[in-house]
Amino acid sequence: MKKVQICCIIDDDSIFVYGTKRIIKEVNFAESVLVYSNGQEALEGLAKISTSKEALPDVIFLDLNMPIMNGWEFLDEFKNCQNNRSKKIVIYIISSSVDPRDLERVKDYDEVDTYILKPITPDDLSKILGAKVEN
Amino acid sequence: MKTLTVDFLFKESPNAIAIVDTKLNFINYSNQWLNNFSLNKTDITNKPFFDNIIETPQVFKNAVKNSILGKEESNLGEKFILSNGDVKWLKWKILPANNEVNGFNGAVIFLSDITIDKKEIELLHKAEEVARIGCWEIDLINGQVYWTKATKDIHEVSLDFEPNLEEGINFYKKGIHRDNISHLVSLAITEGKPFETELIIITAKGNEVWVCSKGEVEMLNGKAIRLVGTFQDIDERKKVQLAHQEISERFKITAQTAQIETWEYNIIENELKWDKEMYRIFDIEENHFSGAFEAWLSTIHPDDKERILSATQEAIEGIKDFDEEFRIKHQNGSIRHIRGLSQTIKDSNGKPIKITGANRDITELRSAEFKLARSAKSFAESFEHSAIGMALVATDGSWIKVNHSLCKSLGYSSSEFLKLTLQDITHPDDLNSDLSLLKEVTRGIRDSYQIEKRYIHKTGNLIHVILTVTSVREIDGKVSHFISQILDISDRIENEKKLNSLVDVTKSQNESLMNFAHIVSHNLRSHSTNMTMLTRFLNEEEDEDERKNLNKMFTSATESLSETIAHLNDVVQFKTGALEKLQSISVLNTINQITNSINVLLEEQNAIVKIDVSKTHFVNAVPAYLESIFLNILTNALKYSSTERTPIIEIKSKIKKDKIQITFSDNGQGIDLNRHGDKIFGMYKTFHKHKDAKGIGLFITKNQIESMNGNIYIESIVDKGTTMYIELNPG
Repeated sequence: MKKVQICCIIDDDSIFVYGTKRIIKEVNFAESVLVYSNGQEALEGLAKISTSKEALPDVIFLDLNMPIMNGWEFLDEFKNCQNNRSKKIVIYIISSSVDPRDLERVKDYDEVDTYILKPITPDDLSKILGAKVEN
Repeated sequence: MKTLTVDFLFKESPNAIAIVDTKLNFINYSNQWLNNFSLNKTDITNKPFFDNIIETPQVFKNAVKNSILGKEESNLGEKFILSNGDVKWLKWKILPANNEVNGFNGAVIFLSDITIDKKEIELLHKAEEVARIGCWEIDLINGQVYWTKATKDIHEVSLDFEPNLEEGINFYKKGIHRDNISHLVSLAITEGKPFETELIIITAKGNEVWVCSKGEVEMLNGKAIRLVGTFQDIDERKKVQLAHQEISERFKITAQTAQIETWEYNIIENELKWDKEMYRIFDIEENHFSGAFEAWLSTIHPDDKERILSATQEAIEGIKDFDEEFRIKHQNGSIRHIRGLSQTIKDSNGKPIKITGANRDITELRSAEFKLARSAKSFAESFEHSAIGMALVATDGSWIKVNHSLCKSLGYSSSEFLKLTLQDITHPDDLNSDLSLLKEVTRGIRDSYQIEKRYIHKTGNLIHVILTVTSVREIDGKVSHFISQILDISDRIENEKKLNSLVDVTKSQNESLMNFAHIVSHNLRSHSTNMTMLTRFLNEEEDEDERKNLNKMFTSATESLSETIAHLNDVVQFKTGALEKLQSISVLNTINQITNSINVLLEEQNAIVKIDVSKTHFVNAVPAYLESIFLNILTNALKYSSTERTPIIEIKSKIKKDKIQITFSDNGQGIDLNRHGDKIFGMYKTFHKHKDAKGIGLFITKNQIESMNGNIYIESIVDKGTTMYIELNPG
């Protein structure tokens, strides 16, 4: 299993972030983890990385319900900036929402690979790695 | 002896003979002479001739005188009018006598009075002329034909025309006439059959004349020797007869077509004659009918009998001609309406002898009239009493007649309506389509149309209707007027509108409910999944410090869960039973109350609160809600105050339309409404980093206000300030 270099978590729930980080370590999912607490922070952060030509994350775990800028708004902004990036960033939406409208809306975004329902499990991460190998 | 015999013969001769000498004295005379021509019956021998005879014409006297001189005189018969006016026809033969031959000198006079015969012939001729009857005779032995003057006149030939058989036949018009007479004549000749026939001849002048030719045969030894007959000009009579026949035929056909039948009642003999149509109309078998007046009377409807009887009686008595309408009963019981006329014919004394009449079966006519009247009445009734508005409209759009329902619908009285046109009270936007459809009906492009349109009520309101228009046409096909049916659907439209708005409200409420459910489930799930995760870690973790950390996080998660559930309760609460707790509350009092309760907070931030609320303003609200609303807004204003300036919060109230409006204006951070406008009142929608921002406060505030039938909206400029407007029902 090939590890992800940089994994980015965008979520405002600190407990969830702690838990996810722990599981990533358990499964040896990624080398390093980047955390932003809302969409706004994430955009600003990623932009900074991009301009400074540092390494961008390979994978983003994105929550939907966040203050200031939620997951959808982040995706809309992110789409616009994606064009000039050479590297492909895979986004996974991780949410507690079972609203079918949210599930539908996911299909509008090509950047989103899958919708993962909270709580995230080690199996979920393994699957991601497995898929990555096939890619 | 000889002389005695001769004398006897002479005396008894049937002729009137007189012998005179040269001195014109009677020598001898026959008894007949004495009877006919003597003045008195005495012996007149040797008496002078002219003194002893009745008056004779001069011609005769001259003839006698001449005979004495030796001249023979004869006259075959001539008419004389004597001085006393008498008409005499005389015939004479006078022979002179001389001594040598006859033994005496003188004359022998044979005189005959043929007046009577001649008179008869004269009268006969006169009769012939007057009656235009001539006589003819064909002598079959020598083939001679004799025509009287009248016969010649009828043929328009001259008096000296000498006819023969063939010519006579050829006078008859070629074709059936000539053939007919030829046939009859030859039949007479061969079989001795007499004939009588009416035929046309062409006169010598070329005129067509109807004649009646009669003939009889005189036979001898079984063979016809002579034909004798009369020949009458019946032209006038025949022409009249033919004309009459023609008219008669025509009338028969007319009567049959018009179903008029005629009858004739002979009063004297009480005999009633009917033509075929009468039997048919009165539904009686020809041979069942006795022909008596009573039989006819029995067919009449009992209710009409008396009237008809008296009218008939008046006609019979010649007082008044019959002119009545009455009903008769057929054998099968059906009733027919009859129209009868009659005319009484009187004799020369004025006594009625015959009545001729005509009857006509007008049942169909009466029935149609009745149906028409009934139909018209039926229409008038339905028109007036219809629950739907109905109107008769002229082709120019003016109202001819309106019913009660329509007047009620549109608020005009009937008389007011008639002064208007449909153009006057139709909504201008609907006028064109209505008029163009009306034109199509007028032109025959369509029979009727149905549209939804609006009329303008007398008060100015709009009345929604469904209009159906049909046309009524004259016999020539042109439109006479329109019938409009106007169904008032205003109520229906009103209800539709209400229903639609209700559906909208329900839809939005459903949506908000859906949202609410999802949001709540999401939040509950977040916390519960966190707890699940932490529980697992706790089970695995051995490091004490780490365990402590985990426990802290676990506690936090449970707290969050509880909070969410509490919020859930709050939100659910205002959805039920709020309206029952409404009271009239003083705005000012509540403001003061809340402001006091957050005094500490206000002091902390050096905030200034300016209150400009009238004492008189009361709102219809739930006390707990009102307090909660004011508290939330004030704390928000403090929470989001600008760091650059002292917070100033202005609270005002005023009356806006039918609501009380309360405004809270602050000079804080403001909100970018473009970006977050639709999230402000949303549930769990925070867009501030503020630690106390839960995203639920304004959601609850909005719902509380709306549950009290109020409104809330917001105005804000970033970094300038925010104003919240709250509208509530006055208390």
